[in-house]
Amino acid sequence: MAASDPQKHSKKRKQVEDEPDTHIHQNAVQLEMLTDDEDGAEISSDDGEADEFPEIDTGSDSEEDFDAEDNEDEDEDEEDDSDGLDSDASLHVFPKAKTVTSDITGKPKRVYPEIEPDYDSDSSTEDAPNRVGNVPMHWYDDLPHIGYDINGKKVLRPARGDELDKFLATVEDPNAWISAFDKNLQMDKPLTNEELDIIRRLYQNENPDASYDPYEPMVEWFTGKGKEEIMPLSAAPEPKRRWISSKWEKQKIMKIVRAIRQGRIVPNKPKSTNKLEFYAIWSDQSSTPHEPPPPAPKPHLPTNSESYNPPEEYLPTDEERKEWEEKDPEDRERDYLPQKYSSLRLVPAYNNFIKERFSRQLDLYLAPRVQRVKLNIDPKSLIPKLPSPSTLKPFPNYKSLTFSHTKGRARCVSISPDGAWAASGDEGGTVSIWEVNVGREVKRWQFKGKIGAVEWCPRTDVCYIVVGIEEEIHFLIPPNLPDSVYLLTKSLLAPATLPPSPATPSPVKWETVSSDTRSIDLPILSVHLPPSSGTPTQITWHRRGDYVASVSTGGSQSAVWMHQISRRHSQAPFKKVKGSVQAVLFHPTKPHFFVATQQYIRIYNLAEQHLLKTLTPGIKWISSMDVHPSGDHLIVGGYDRKLCWFDLELSDKPYKSLRYHTRAIRSVHFHPTYPLLASSSDDGSIQIFHARVYNDLLTDPLIVPLKILRGHHVQDGLGVLQVRWCNRQPWLLSGGADGNVAVWCT
Amino acid sequence: MSSSNDVQSTQQPVVFVTRTAYPLPTQKYMIPTTWKRYHLSQLVNKALALATPIPFDFLVRGEILKASLGEWCAEHGVGEEETLEIEYIESVLPPQKMSDFPHEDWVSSVLCDLQGYLLTASYDGHVRAFDFSKNVVAAAPVHNAPITSLTLIPSTQNDTVTHMVATSSHDLTAAISRLAFDGAAPTSKTGVLATLHLHTAPVSSVSSNTSGTHLLTSSWDGLIGLWDTTIPPTDEVPEPENIGQERKKRRKVEDESKPRRKAPINVLKSHTARVSRVAFSEKQDAQIAYSCGFDSTVRVWDTENGICTHTITAAEKPFLDLAVSPDGNTALAASTDRTLTPYDLRSGSSSLSNTSASFLHPATPSCIAFGRNGNQVVTGAYDGVVRVWDLRSTKGAVASFKAWDGANKKVLGVDWKRGVVGVAGEGGVEVWKVGEEARN
Repeated sequence: MAASDPQKHSKKRKQVEDEPDTHIHQNAVQLEMLTDDEDGAEISSDDGEADEFPEIDTGSDSEEDFDAEDNEDEDEDEEDDSDGLDSDASLHVFPKAKTVTSDITGKPKRVYPEIEPDYDSDSSTEDAPNRVGNVPMHWYDDLPHIGYDINGKKVLRPARGDELDKFLATVEDPNAWISAFDKNLQMDKPLTNEELDIIRRLYQNENPDASYDPYEPMVEWFTGKGKEEIMPLSAAPEPKRRWISSKWEKQKIMKIVRAIRQGRIVPNKPKSTNKLEFYAIWSDQSSTPHEPPPPAPKPHLPTNSESYNPPEEYLPTDEERKEWEEKDPEDRERDYLPQKYSSLRLVPAYNNFIKERFSRQLDLYLAPRVQRVKLNIDPKSLIPKLPSPSTLKPFPNYKSLTFSHTKGRARCVSISPDGAWAASGDEGGTVSIWEVNVGREVKRWQFKGKIGAVEWCPRTDVCYIVVGIEEEIHFLIPPNLPDSVYLLTKSLLAPATLPPSPATPSPVKWETVSSDTRSIDLPILSVHLPPSSGTPTQITWHRRGDYVASVSTGGSQSAVWMHQISRRHSQAPFKKVKGSVQAVLFHPTKPHFFVATQQYIRIYNLAEQHLLKTLTPGIKWISSMDVHPSGDHLIVGGYDRKLCWFDLELSDKPYKSLRYHTRAIRSVHFHPTYPLLASSSDDGSIQIFHARVYNDLLTDPLIVPLKILRGHHVQDGLGVLQVRWCNRQPWLLSGGADGNVAVWCT
Repeated sequence: MSSSNDVQSTQQPVVFVTRTAYPLPTQKYMIPTTWKRYHLSQLVNKALALATPIPFDFLVRGEILKASLGEWCAEHGVGEEETLEIEYIESVLPPQKMSDFPHEDWVSSVLCDLQGYLLTASYDGHVRAFDFSKNVVAAAPVHNAPITSLTLIPSTQNDTVTHMVATSSHDLTAAISRLAFDGAAPTSKTGVLATLHLHTAPVSSVSSNTSGTHLLTSSWDGLIGLWDTTIPPTDEVPEPENIGQERKKRRKVEDESKPRRKAPINVLKSHTARVSRVAFSEKQDAQIAYSCGFDSTVRVWDTENGICTHTITAAEKPFLDLAVSPDGNTALAASTDRTLTPYDLRSGSSSLSNTSASFLHPATPSCIAFGRNGNQVVTGAYDGVVRVWDLRSTKGAVASFKAWDGANKKVLGVDWKRGVVGVAGEGGVEVWKVGEEARN
């Protein structure tokens, strides 16, 4: 081909550059057809027939299309095109190689033509006068020039004559009939011979390629010597499967169809949107709802000792090296020994590489994938908010004085109703009355046998104490009483005319000392309990001071006796009590009577004479109990260290169980006026609680531990045997096994 | 060397003030911080040019200086440029035991009012008078029950042989007795003159005014009785007729000495609980009385009209004892919460503002006695320790001593007169010599 002709070259390039456009367009058409075809397939599948999806031969379609379009496009430049097509072959085909027999090897080799390194060797450097490129030339319609040459100079529009000139040119110019309009140069150019040849071929419906030989000699593939087919070509008829649709495919398709009908496969499901999801790659908060996986553990950074040339101090000594080598690999502090090389060149290959990579992989593999949220609760926040003890003053916090019993354990303590005197009894048979504030004994009675209980009569118009000694209850009048009180007490305990004896004789004998032998050192009245009933260990008063109940433990007889002072009569309130009675109490306001056996507390209504309630504190052996002055709350102490608080309105189960003592609880007591509660134990300590009971039933009682009072010695495993609050003052008296009665003051 | 130089070079500007009879001119001194009490005392003595050196104690911001000045400054963060105001007081010499007077029973009260004699009231109901050579010069069984307090009724006649005392007792009465200091043998001159009948509970204290004309008794029943000291010719309170036989017997025995049964001339009612101490004002002819009680109040009474003129209410402080300073401005009340609290008694001051720092005791303080100068006070406590306090220094006791050889026996009464502290209590009576600050 005439590659040197610049005009032709420009045309060729244009042709080349046109091609991608058509391809793009053609692609778009193809896409449309695809969708159409899919629709068709859908319709056909809807009818339930297992038809084969129509196969789309996109290649053939596009080719046809391409041809058609090409023809339409280049209608007016038909001749040009045919020419260009011709030149295309030579242009696009890689320079043809010539097969030459090599001089050296003697074998044929391909020799490609030399690429001449001049401007003509590349079509891009063709010398075309107009260098505007492939732009629509009508842009220059209103301009005097038609473009620019390589130097930027305007290429002026050649003069074009009118129709008459054209006609004259066709007449005058012999080449006029073989010239065509060159858009780029805006003038008619005569066609070359090659182009004319292509046009001629197209006219004659021949192949436009001149070099195409339709009658090439047949290549003998199968005939001739050595080319015979040993096996004949098959003459078997076309198998049925080629034209019958496959049963299995049908089944598969039916499966899909069924899935579509049932909605498992949604046709026309919006495909994943082509939109890219943008996200802040560096933002801290992840866009996904899940937490990002925790970062993989970082490998340790190398240290100085891992250097190939570490400082001398990192190098192991011989002992260290020996020790390292003797150790098991698991026990080694580090899995390498620092080694020194004078230069990096001398460092040998790292023989532990695989092992190290493996351990690193293990590290990554075993690293936690999820950030475990640790339940981080401050244990202090779980403790209920309690007011500070300092805000709950007053409460006893120090031992003011001690009153000592020399003859034995101080078993029992009692305070006079006005809070000024204390009576205490010991196991040696001594009952002492002493000032609470000074600790000075003012009167002492000596009895035979252990003193089990001492109680002061709660009445204020009379004054006497009741002492329980082995199977007897004695009534004692303290000294230095005002005359009126003394006379009334005497007339009460030793009346001139005895009340009529009750109809039913009682086994309990009341005995008054005759007025001749009466002395302040002797009890004015004695009550003899039936024999073998044991020592009264508890004496409790009714609030009016007329009834007193005594509990004897250790005896064989019925333990509980109720004594009426005014009638000088005793009776056993219970014929038969299940279990041994430990303690009894009168309700402060109602005619109720609490009876504590070893494990249960029963509340009886004395007026109606029936059982009201049974409380189960869950204590194995109840030692003591006390009722709140309001009458609605009961505390029970047990030998198994438990202190139970009962809200009597609430339940027969304890409202609260406190287990503060390390040994058995011996005594519990509510303060009659202050919101205080004390419990004493065999561990020698006394615990003081703030026990506030609210008037409204909705608020729970507030129990705050205030103070542990220590000061009693534990003797023979016994600690503080009884605690009693001082009336009118927030003071506490405690009798201990060491024989001391301590007064604890605020 | 250099460090010692440094220490010596630091000096603290100091101004000395005092309320003693030895004032210094107001002047700023540069005191080396290494100086201690001894150096300061020497300095003050030199500056005063006293003939006989007087040891001084130094109060820096209400605290007695015990270590060196520099250490005190370091502890309290006082800089070198700050001028310290140091008050100096006559230092209390370590108390010395003079003698002891053993008793069989507890002694509730001791009086050192009489020169050369010691009056004690015991729980066995006896009032005894000792001279300082431990001889019983007078003894009288005044009560059948423990005596709780004892007071001397000053007489107008200058009789050095017979003295009138008033006692209060657990037997619900107080008594006026006459003691004749004529030897151990009881004479007709010694005996109970009158019994005071008002109270229905043990009488806790009795107090006489300075002229000896009136008595006050306080009782556990919350009443305060005002009595005159004249002995009536007949019983003012009739003898109860319907008393038991054993009491009648006792009465018959007592009939021979014929104590008159007196009635109060007035009853002061305001306390709601036990009155633990009542005291007349020490001022001449002042008809003012002070009382404290378990209802946590300190009350000031006008005894002439029988009304309570001032009430100081503390919170939850049952007061055990009360002492009023000689000038009548300050009351010290000891309470069961182991504090000794000063209260301002001056009228007009509200009850809220008059509680300053209180003196903390390790055990229950039971008794208080003021010194002659109203700045120092002794207290006895249940741990058997008698402490001397300076009211200007609340941080700690100035001096303390243990009665009865450190036996843990309760001190029930103290009295401090003429540099002698009488200590009464569980172990009897002891007399200690404690220097008093001179009255300024």
